[in-house]
Amino acid sequence: MSAVLEVRGLCKSFRGLKAVSDVSLTAEEGAITGMIGPNGAGKSTTFNMICGFYPPTSGQIFYRGRDITGLRAYQFADMGIARTFQIMKPLGNLTVLDNVASGAFFGRHKAKSLSQAREIAEGILEFTGLTARRDVLAREMGTPDQKRLEVARALATKPDMLFLDEAMAGLNPTETEDAIALIRRINEGGVTIFLIEHIMRAVVSLCGKVVVLHHGEKIAEGTPEQVMNDPYVMEVYLGKGAPNVKG
Amino acid sequence: MFRTIFSSTFRRRAAAALALLVAVMLVLPLTLSGMPYIQNVFILAFYMTTMSLAWNLLGGMTGQNSIGHACFMGIGAYTSVLCVTQFGMNPWVSLPIAVLVTAVITGLVFSQCFILRGPYFTLVTIAFAEAVRQIILNWDFAGKAIGVGLPYVRGNNWLLFSFKDRAIYYYIAFAMMVGVYLIMKRIDNSRLGFALKTIREDEDVAAAIGIRPLKYKVIAVVISASVSAVAGFFYACYYRYIDPNIMLQSASVELVLPAIIGGSAFVEGPLVGGILMVSLSEYLRNTFGGILPGINLILYAVVLIVVIRFRPTGILGWYSHSAFRDFLEGRVLGRNMDKNGKEAQS
Repeated sequence: MSAVLEVRGLCKSFRGLKAVSDVSLTAEEGAITGMIGPNGAGKSTTFNMICGFYPPTSGQIFYRGRDITGLRAYQFADMGIARTFQIMKPLGNLTVLDNVASGAFFGRHKAKSLSQAREIAEGILEFTGLTARRDVLAREMGTPDQKRLEVARALATKPDMLFLDEAMAGLNPTETEDAIALIRRINEGGVTIFLIEHIMRAVVSLCGKVVVLHHGEKIAEGTPEQVMNDPYVMEVYLGKGAPNVKG
Repeated sequence: MFRTIFSSTFRRRAAAALALLVAVMLVLPLTLSGMPYIQNVFILAFYMTTMSLAWNLLGGMTGQNSIGHACFMGIGAYTSVLCVTQFGMNPWVSLPIAVLVTAVITGLVFSQCFILRGPYFTLVTIAFAEAVRQIILNWDFAGKAIGVGLPYVRGNNWLLFSFKDRAIYYYIAFAMMVGVYLIMKRIDNSRLGFALKTIREDEDVAAAIGIRPLKYKVIAVVISASVSAVAGFFYACYYRYIDPNIMLQSASVELVLPAIIGGSAFVEGPLVGGILMVSLSEYLRNTFGGILPGINLILYAVVLIVVIRFRPTGILGWYSHSAFRDFLEGRVLGRNMDKNGKEAQS
């Protein structure tokens, strides 16, 4: 497998405060790569830098061998990179269908007309299980459906690579299972996925590789089993001298 | 196309109602030929509605609230009048020049201003409008505070855009309003419209799906200003005289109101609000203005405050979820209430 995304020595300082320092990682074509870490570890900052929302202080980002460091957020959709937001950002006063149609008008579908955009959107609503809610205003939906809508809108841009920022936060176990199934189906459709997630069950069942961040630094990388048994990772999550939670 | 129009009872009846309304509007000036004041109120309402429709593209659809739109209209009006008086052009030739000048000025200025968001952007529109007004006030070429007038023309003259018969102005203003409405309706359902609405809802989402917010905001302000310039051209040709007061702050606020009262989330909002508010304001002035000076303005303000306090989404915002809609569209126009209709009832 070749690395579709490569990050080298990424750093970000906010007025002298180092949020991320020297993070390097890769994401392989067709795989699901996860990023975990305690709150404030710099996951979202790293994520936002990769997606063009913050410029990195230093370091480089390559997508399919092309240096994309410093490109602006709106340039990513055309390259086939889509993202969701941790804090859901529904287009509140538009219907669910039009939220997704908006993605189909831009991104890589570039629908020519409203009917074409809505047709694409219908297909995506079907795929993500939102068809029943198509005419509801996005702001009137609950968390699980809004999370789903985030994913649906991102998919409407026809991405090769999808960045999911805590797509399962706030979901109950059943909803989490549904979300895991959805992410797996997206991945099976050939979309490379990079996700931040706190819910370890999801990370373990989805990710082939996990990167662990702590205090803005990468402290471990490997399969979910490897990183969960890493003594330093255990110390970070559970404190020093914690009982061994192996297995 | 006709097949979709006549595909259901509701559509047939709605189309008939619309045709009837348009027919009434077209016949109306003929019955009002002896009442220039009433004709004037209609012309003013059409003009204000056109301006409000233009404002709503930037304010309602893109979410960038401008309180300086009277100045776009003023730039258009001044450019066209100065072209006629100073360079001896035909008014029709001056129209595209006025639109172009307004579009270029706003494009250049506002492409630099959109880094400001929310209220800060609104402040810039106020400052811009006032700056333009001050320039005109102190510019000999533009007639300073005295203003500039178009030459007097006898009778009806299409070539010089001057008519003795107000009915002609009525038809032109009506056509201008309907034309601008149709353009806005078209934008609303287009790629451009979706870009603008996405930007209004969330600029980060817009960027994430590949919309460059700055680019589309500039497109929105340029279209909005260009339409205002057309309205300004009409205003100048109708009143035959303009002065810097047309760009006053109060004029800008006045043309925002129809959109807000009608419902700025709807393309039809300014249409509904414009006709209602102008008629109301003129009625109040006529009826109460003589009793106690200023009382009409106080009553007007009361109506505004009541609507904004109790129906912040405007008349159409209320209508779209009202029992009145169920009655009108369900009973009178025979609409089969679908999912939307049922939700509106609950």
